[in-house]
Amino acid sequence: MQISLDLVDLLVVSPAIALFLGGLFPIMIKAFSRNKEPNSFVPYGIAVVGTLAALALVAGNWGIQREAFSGALVFDSISAIVSILILIVTLAGLSYLKESPSTQRLQFSEIVFLTMNASIGMLIFAWSNDLIVTFIGIELMSLCLYVLIALSEEEKLSKEAAFKYFILGSFASAVLLYGISFIYGGAGTTSLPEIKELGVNLITTNRMFLIGVIMFFSGLLFKFSIFPFHSWTPDVYQGSPTPITSYMATGVKAATVFFTLRWMSLDILTGERAFPFVDVLQWLAVLTILIGNVGALRQKSLKRMLAYSGIGHSGYVLIGLIAAGIGGQNLVGATGVVYYLFAYTFMTLGSFGVLAALERHSDHEIVLDDLKGLAKRKPVLAISFSVLLLSLAGIPPTVGFFGKFLVLAAAIKQDLNWLALWGVIGSVISVYYYLRPIVAMYMEESILKEESWIPRPMTQFAVSLMALMVIGFGITSESFFAQFFQSILEVFS
Amino acid sequence: MAVVVGSVPKSWVRPTALGLSILHFAYSLLLFRHFDPATANLQLVEQSSWIPTLGIQYFLGVDGISFWLVILSTFLIPFTILASWKSIEDRVRFFHVNLFLLSTAMLGTFLALDAILFYVFFEASLIPMYFMIGVWGGKRKLYATMKFFIYTMAGSLLMLLAIIGLIFLTQEQLGTLSASILDFYKLSIPFVGGQLISTQTLMFFAFSLAFAIKVPMFPVHTWLPDAHVEAPTPGSVILAAVMLKMGTYGFMRFVLPIFPEAAQYFSWLFLLLAVVGIIYGALVAMVQTDIKKLVAYSSVSHMGYVMLGLFAFNIYGTTGGLYQMLNHGISTGALFILVGMIYERTHSREIKDYGGLAKVAPWFTIAFMIVTFSSIAVPLTNGFIGEFLILLGGFQAHRVLGGVAVLGVVLGAAYMLWMVKRVFFGEEGRIVTKYKDMKLDLNLREVVILVPFVVLIFWMGLFPNHFLSYSKTSLDHFVNNMSNYELQVGQ
Repeated sequence: MQISLDLVDLLVVSPAIALFLGGLFPIMIKAFSRNKEPNSFVPYGIAVVGTLAALALVAGNWGIQREAFSGALVFDSISAIVSILILIVTLAGLSYLKESPSTQRLQFSEIVFLTMNASIGMLIFAWSNDLIVTFIGIELMSLCLYVLIALSEEEKLSKEAAFKYFILGSFASAVLLYGISFIYGGAGTTSLPEIKELGVNLITTNRMFLIGVIMFFSGLLFKFSIFPFHSWTPDVYQGSPTPITSYMATGVKAATVFFTLRWMSLDILTGERAFPFVDVLQWLAVLTILIGNVGALRQKSLKRMLAYSGIGHSGYVLIGLIAAGIGGQNLVGATGVVYYLFAYTFMTLGSFGVLAALERHSDHEIVLDDLKGLAKRKPVLAISFSVLLLSLAGIPPTVGFFGKFLVLAAAIKQDLNWLALWGVIGSVISVYYYLRPIVAMYMEESILKEESWIPRPMTQFAVSLMALMVIGFGITSESFFAQFFQSILEVFS
Repeated sequence: MAVVVGSVPKSWVRPTALGLSILHFAYSLLLFRHFDPATANLQLVEQSSWIPTLGIQYFLGVDGISFWLVILSTFLIPFTILASWKSIEDRVRFFHVNLFLLSTAMLGTFLALDAILFYVFFEASLIPMYFMIGVWGGKRKLYATMKFFIYTMAGSLLMLLAIIGLIFLTQEQLGTLSASILDFYKLSIPFVGGQLISTQTLMFFAFSLAFAIKVPMFPVHTWLPDAHVEAPTPGSVILAAVMLKMGTYGFMRFVLPIFPEAAQYFSWLFLLLAVVGIIYGALVAMVQTDIKKLVAYSSVSHMGYVMLGLFAFNIYGTTGGLYQMLNHGISTGALFILVGMIYERTHSREIKDYGGLAKVAPWFTIAFMIVTFSSIAVPLTNGFIGEFLILLGGFQAHRVLGGVAVLGVVLGAAYMLWMVKRVFFGEEGRIVTKYKDMKLDLNLREVVILVPFVVLIFWMGLFPNHFLSYSKTSLDHFVNNMSNYELQVGQ
């Protein structure tokens, strides 16, 4: 591979550069002012400007398919969609971080720097068209997150979470890298387009390649918490500072799933030897949905509940991915995955935002009892949270409903009726725990005395905005369907 | 409208809501002028595309089957607002917003001609009802409201899968993706007689389960008594009078015409379950000690008649079924309002606390008796017409089950009259003695609420043709073309 740098390469990575600068300036300012932490508005403002610039650059690149660095990165309309999602996540994450007591004080510049770099990692991960670059993206993202998780003031849980994520995450990365070397051993290349040409035959003829694919997949499944690689999720989500949890739960998942979708669209899972593999994936989807939703049933802590619910949602995404991976009618599946992620990002960001808003004024973790009577105390938060939860439960006409609808439709289209049936069963179970917070907010009396605090403006704004979008984008989902479908048609066929 | 109610000052909420709902009812009465009863086609259609990628439309229209249900829904809202005038004191604004959201969802359900749009309204009606029971309900409200929600949700999600399957079938057979019910009618869905696993059978059961839970049919009726007993009066009224009809309406609009072979093939099962529901509901109602619970179980029994009529597959049964839907809406709605009125005063619904109420509250007793007569199908009241037609149809469909259903009428008379005897006559009960000096009888507001109901009971009983003439063409068309049912959009 010849290394060269020209203008197109720079144009493609320009959003990442903007992000990097947005993260670099705050820490530089801090370094030049004798390591004194500036007012938190300064790093926040710079980072937001950087992210907005990145958004503008992504929008400017929209619609043109470009490859950079000899095909190592690809920027097509799918990359554009995921970039926009990741940048929105970054914006929301920064706003939550800015207003969270545990992260705002001493080291805010460093936190901003790490967050921006994690976002760059996600972008590279999602754009990568070569397995080596994929790995670099994953590692950049993960390394920043290990540190971010450990930064909470709740010393013990946070350190434990960071350590757990670090150990398991490194192990998963190692397996993934090992898988990549097997794939290279089998195919003689790490470039996705080249694998695509060879893959269909290789997977039936070359055992080494199949093993590589399986190991590579295990690493990916770990990142978006599919059974049996899900066990870190609740602990890590619970232990991290809530803004970081919201950032991780959405950003990492979006990047991983989009990359997996790219992988699925290689059409290499159609070989005869691959069928047991696809069957296993189906079972994993079912088990993930069940474990996520049943696990969430008995959680008192809302953060843990949302973590388990996130596992459940990963299962639905996996259904869509499977439908997208089997040959034939796979465009519906791919559209379903994209839309589901889109819906999931808003619902989850909003829900964690509510928790972040509540935590600021509470000396302990938010449990179900803290929500009692919230409808009277904080009506805007309560109604936003209700909308978000109903959307997570998949009640029409929210985005959550249309996401589930598309994924189930994709499964039925591919004759995976039993998979759709399990999806429905999981959904029924989930209604119970999504409704419990609503019950507490609206139907039970408060056990706390009246409080005088008002939610911080940006968090409140972000949460209400997400709730509005969850309904608005649901009703107008046609424009998104059409856009996503068009993008997928452009890229994958 | 919900927005308007949500934005007016607190003390104005009630009058505004009442005014709006009356306007709304008046507006729906315009249907009488624009609706043409001589055609079975869909009328007053509103159609525009919503999600064309998946063939989903915003598609509303009315025909003879949905006509009266629409009127019933708009008719009841003002009365529920009046009936809750005194009993709802907490979070009044939120309550009325809920009520209007609910009425939107109900109308949408009856008018929607696109399956996904129908599903959206069908599900969306759960949320306001969920809040209504959960916020203003009785002691075990949380249990009841959760059970109600999860039961209904479980059924309807399976239906969603079947709808998705049907949408893909339209693409296969008609060439375009479409979620329109009219296109569903044109499908020929593979059916193998005697075999449980065929596409049509599976879809048939998915739809049937969703609607059977809503109706509710035996044995998936168990959410109903809990929900009814815990719900506040307006909640019970809407639940019984309109929301249960969504289930039976679903059978008429979806299950029977889309899956005719499967429906014919399994009609014995549904006839049997309907009759079991009639008898079971009546027997359980007989042993209840709580008046509201008794009325709730009587609902199970009455809705059994409707199902019996629908699955008889003849004109008598179907007409009776539709008529009985309206009757049940009127009479059970009125019963719940009456029970609510007395509960407001005495805070007891135990039958044994009462007795001799007729002496202290004569007008209340008269109203209650009239509604009871309607409920037990005494001639001259509306209930008689409905049940008579249903039994006629039921006999033609199946002699034995039809005969057993007649037994249900006797049992129905028995439990209702026995309850009336214990509450209104005989020895003076504990509560009656305690509240004797208070004014227990009806006040003006309550008379205003009840008069239209009583008028309707007799009007519908004496001149059924005034009502049925609007549905006749549609019903004839429905019964005669059951196996290849189609609907056109009329002008």
